[in-house]
Amino acid sequence: MCCSSSIERDKAMMGAPEAFDIDVVKGMKFFDPHVHMTSRTTDDYQAMADAGVVALIEPAFWLGQPRTGLDSFNDYYSSLIGWERFRSSQFGIKHYCTIGLNSREANNESLAEQVMEILPSFIYKEGVVGVGEIGFDDQTAAEEKYYRLQLELAKEAGLPVQVHTPHRDKKKGTQRSMDIALEHGLDPYSIIIDHNNEETVNEVLDRGFWAAFTIYPFTKMGNERMVEIVKQYGAERIMVNSAADWGISDPLAVPKTAALMKMRGLSDQDIELVAYSNAITAFAQSGQLDEADFNTQIDLTKKFEGNTILRGGQQPRTDKSSIIIS
Amino acid sequence: MRDDHLKVVKEIIAAVVKNNISLEAEKWLENFTRSTDQLAQLAKVFVMLPRKTGKLPVAINEDQQEALHAAGFGYIRNWTIDRLSRVWLLAGLDLHDKELLFAAINRLFLSAEVNEAVALYSALPLLPHPEIWVKRCAEGIRSNIGSVLEAIMENNPYPAANLDEAAWNQLVLKAFFTEKNINLIVGLDQRANLPLALTLVDYAQERWAAGREVHPQLWRMVGRFINAEIFETLKTGLQHYNQMEQRAIALAISQSGYQPAKDYINTFPELKLALADGSLNWDSFNQ
Repeated sequence: MCCSSSIERDKAMMGAPEAFDIDVVKGMKFFDPHVHMTSRTTDDYQAMADAGVVALIEPAFWLGQPRTGLDSFNDYYSSLIGWERFRSSQFGIKHYCTIGLNSREANNESLAEQVMEILPSFIYKEGVVGVGEIGFDDQTAAEEKYYRLQLELAKEAGLPVQVHTPHRDKKKGTQRSMDIALEHGLDPYSIIIDHNNEETVNEVLDRGFWAAFTIYPFTKMGNERMVEIVKQYGAERIMVNSAADWGISDPLAVPKTAALMKMRGLSDQDIELVAYSNAITAFAQSGQLDEADFNTQIDLTKKFEGNTILRGGQQPRTDKSSIIIS
Repeated sequence: MRDDHLKVVKEIIAAVVKNNISLEAEKWLENFTRSTDQLAQLAKVFVMLPRKTGKLPVAINEDQQEALHAAGFGYIRNWTIDRLSRVWLLAGLDLHDKELLFAAINRLFLSAEVNEAVALYSALPLLPHPEIWVKRCAEGIRSNIGSVLEAIMENNPYPAANLDEAAWNQLVLKAFFTEKNINLIVGLDQRANLPLALTLVDYAQERWAAGREVHPQLWRMVGRFINAEIFETLKTGLQHYNQMEQRAIALAISQSGYQPAKDYINTFPELKLALADGSLNWDSFNQ
């Protein structure tokens, strides 16, 4: 995601590339419950649709650098339920979001206070399936304060909570996030603990929470490790996401992980749970997510005389290999 | 004491700046420093400064370098002239009202592009009223921009001298996460503490569980705090057969007072030997 790196070393880490064969998971549907589409291109939307992603959740987060005023938050939240939802629909992908004040920006307390005042006007909007992503980053007192306040907000609104767990000091941060949620009387079944790894998964599942895993190169989980986790723990209450954003990330992480699971012998039923239905079950508790609303009738791989069949409102496809842009 | 010390450093920096810029740029800067209305002009002058000074690496003569080095600012020789000039400009602001100074510099932070941000964080150790920049520095550690993090983490005496323990620990952790040069963090050993050691031990376990290597310098912050619990983790590490990690763990143990760990290390002939001949030190684990 950032900073220093060398091409040689990165290549060495990757080893020999193994091609992603989309046919392995042809006909399967996927749900990516954590992906920051505002940072992605239309090519990504197209590729996700082609790979079988039928719906996604975009959690509210930061922009890579801190906002300096309330209007920036207001416009951002509005864009998640407005323009971005529309943009997604053009590719036949149903777009949901979670709304919240992210942990990093909770540290700007004077601004955080103002953001808390506008949150209630967004979390009740149609298609807002949870409060998120909230939780800890540095694990400061300010982060804890706004995490607690937003848990109360979620409780009052009857919404699931999408909890971001910190990169640094992850194990303790994850335990603390769960302790606090329980302290506020929330049902662990309404809470999705995100960015798990081998060190956190056991406790998260044991305590009855949902365990989400982010398949993200270098900094989070690799999908080979993910396959081993599902083999060890089963598919119950486990889901995968891409958390693709403005960093080096992969919006096809969910279908790719599903393909790898298939190739490594996991059952179709387990794959469906982990890459599709568990996330739907968890976030449908909001009352704002209904599988029947997914636009699954469009088969984007179907072609008519070499051209994709376009439906109403759907984006036309461009040929990326052509030098001519017309 | 601090003020006298800083005064000398600022004088040398002023001389270095002067030696590295054109006469025209010097006059332009003087115009600002002599102005009675610095507040109104600061934002513009700070932003357009590289157009006047250029962006070449600074040249520093031997006497200056020696004096800077003695004062703990020897690293300035790796800066470019725009960075140094901006730092000099900020350090010499003629704003005696603490609130005014804070507001003026804070405005620069809020709209800074990358090179400006680097200069701003580089200036922290030279600004008056160090206590007012603690929150800003902690915020800077939340940045994801490599050069901004380097400006805060590497060769900068401000964090170790001013940050509270939680923010300091974030700095060290983030330095590992973003692969900064750990050896360049000022005050690393002096500010080692138990919560940081425990967090780093958890981090090492997480890395091993993910099949990843652990940075040898991590154990430097752990040595003094080795107890029975940490010792169990170290044993796991010693069984990984990564020679660099093993040696770093051995060095950390040699700096602890926990006898069972010291006895255990002696069961590894190669490590026992390396410790005995004194060839191991933290600088030998440079990336």
